[in-house]
Amino acid sequence: MKYDEKLYLTFLEKLYLVRRFENKVYEFAERGLVFGSTHLEVGEEATAVGTLLNINKDDYMIATHRGHGQELLKGTDLKAMMAEMIGKATGICGGRVGSMHVTDISVNNLGAQGIIGATFPIAVGVGLGLNLLSDKDKILIAFFGDGATNQGTFYESLNMADIWSVPVFFVCVNNLYGMGTHYCSTCNIEIYKKASFFNIKSGFCDGNDVGAVYEKSKELIDYVRSKRRPAFLELKTYRTIGHSAFDKHPYRTKEEIEEWKRLDPIKRAEELMLSLGTAKDKIDDVKKKVDAQIQEAAAFALESAYPAYEASLEQ
Amino acid sequence: MREITYSEALREAIRQAMLKDKKVIMIGEEIGQGYAGVFGVSKGLYDEFGPKRIIDTPIAENTIMGAAIGTSMLGLKPIMEVMFADFISVCFDGVLNQISKMRFMTKDQYSLNLVVRLPGGEGAGTGPHHSQCLESLFMTIPGLKLANPSNAYDAKGLLTTAISAGDPVLFFEHKRLYKTKCDVPEEEYAIPFGKAKIVRVGSDITIVALSYMVSVALAAAEELSKEYGIEAEVVDPRTLVPLDEETIAASVKKTSRIAIVEETYLRGGIGSEIGAIVSEKYMDALDCPIKRIASKNVPIPMPASLKDEVIPDKDRVVKEIREMF
Repeated sequence: MKYDEKLYLTFLEKLYLVRRFENKVYEFAERGLVFGSTHLEVGEEATAVGTLLNINKDDYMIATHRGHGQELLKGTDLKAMMAEMIGKATGICGGRVGSMHVTDISVNNLGAQGIIGATFPIAVGVGLGLNLLSDKDKILIAFFGDGATNQGTFYESLNMADIWSVPVFFVCVNNLYGMGTHYCSTCNIEIYKKASFFNIKSGFCDGNDVGAVYEKSKELIDYVRSKRRPAFLELKTYRTIGHSAFDKHPYRTKEEIEEWKRLDPIKRAEELMLSLGTAKDKIDDVKKKVDAQIQEAAAFALESAYPAYEASLEQ
Repeated sequence: MREITYSEALREAIRQAMLKDKKVIMIGEEIGQGYAGVFGVSKGLYDEFGPKRIIDTPIAENTIMGAAIGTSMLGLKPIMEVMFADFISVCFDGVLNQISKMRFMTKDQYSLNLVVRLPGGEGAGTGPHHSQCLESLFMTIPGLKLANPSNAYDAKGLLTTAISAGDPVLFFEHKRLYKTKCDVPEEEYAIPFGKAKIVRVGSDITIVALSYMVSVALAAAEELSKEYGIEAEVVDPRTLVPLDEETIAASVKKTSRIAIVEETYLRGGIGSEIGAIVSEKYMDALDCPIKRIASKNVPIPMPASLKDEVIPDKDRVVKEIREMF
């Protein structure tokens, strides 16, 4: 792929937005402002950036429980995202559900799944809905992790995705671990190969190389859009922080983490840009802009009120 | 007015909704080609509406439920048929964690029109995996509406309401009712949820009965009247959620006694819930303890010699109610 500075500056801005957002949520978690758990995608940012830059605003999306980047890049307002993380009434879901369950129908984000494997049946349903409505402009992008591909729903839904020919782009964010269990200890077959078993066009790519993710996604998304057929992409990546903000990751070595930090997607993008002649000032400007946005959103979230209980919530 | 069966009434509700609103679709196993519904409810609909409205599926309840959820997220109005109510176990996540919570979790971003039809109850000697009434399992989950028609008239009117309810509805049908007939208007009509029907007026005891057990309670009430001079008032809630507490309370205040008759298992059953409500709020009105008449805590057996002991029938209802006097 020929170097396109403008495109790479966009990559960098989005990568950095997700990274800084996650850093802020981690800070909130350490300050005790995030109730319960939160799943951060530090190190995995390129999987969301590279795929979603090929997705239109009115395409549909289902996010994962580790989906802040996916949700931000689909277009949800940064302030409403930040407020949701700490359970504030100005959050995108009224602060009711927090980190794991961001839904924003205004940007066709249909929701994030807290139940591993529940994504697949709903994804097939959305694809079926598009077919029944003869809506040939939109597709669905459905994100899930490596762990989800061992659920029974994965197999029955991929079968139905094939027989119903649904326009769904299945994206497996393989960060090697389902909580603390390595994906190689839970299945002997590579994940993208499982999809090809069901006649689904399937690909694999380095999930920490934003340019490669972008190119491979583009190819597969064009296929889904034009052929109205499902496609599948496995992106191998790594979360350089724990499963949740409170995970001390006893299941992996310092050396392994350091090795993956060397492959950090932001570091790699920046190094590539500098080596191909992009001025450092341009990169710094992008970062400054994002930092200001994050700061503003965090202040908004902190100032917002908690939601009040109403009897009408009883159903 | 003409008489039609419960099956025909359900079909008529679906057909009229499909004619009026192109967004109404049906999804399930064997509903189109093949059997046209194991209980014949969708008979003829595939020929009339075709494969884009009557959608046959593989045997994969999880993804069938997902298909109902996904299509309803896009604004369609799916009616999902679970072949036997018992099979809902296979797609329980869809009920427990998805459809029921969607309105709350998204702060009303979704208003799903989604009906899950559940043929339940004993009726064909089909044993423990095909014969259960399971309403009580779902009563505890916030965010679901539960409809329980006991006759063809209610079946049509409640299903019409369910299809456009704006919230997910679990629609509990009963195998023993499919062939029962009553007067049903030809035109479309809707029965509001949360409105009980007093199906027999009486002064001595309130019997709250549900689904097929309404007819069992009515038969028992006739015998109690004729043989023992006990006049029972029979109340059919028609929907368990929302529950018409007011009608039940007014009846209990009049009769001072209450029995709940259901085919659901006794433990944690509908009677447990209604009984608890009555004892919390209307204890002063009662002359004797609340009576729960339900299926015993036994998987539904196949042979009559066993199942007749497990599931309430007229004789058991008469006997247990006589003990209250």
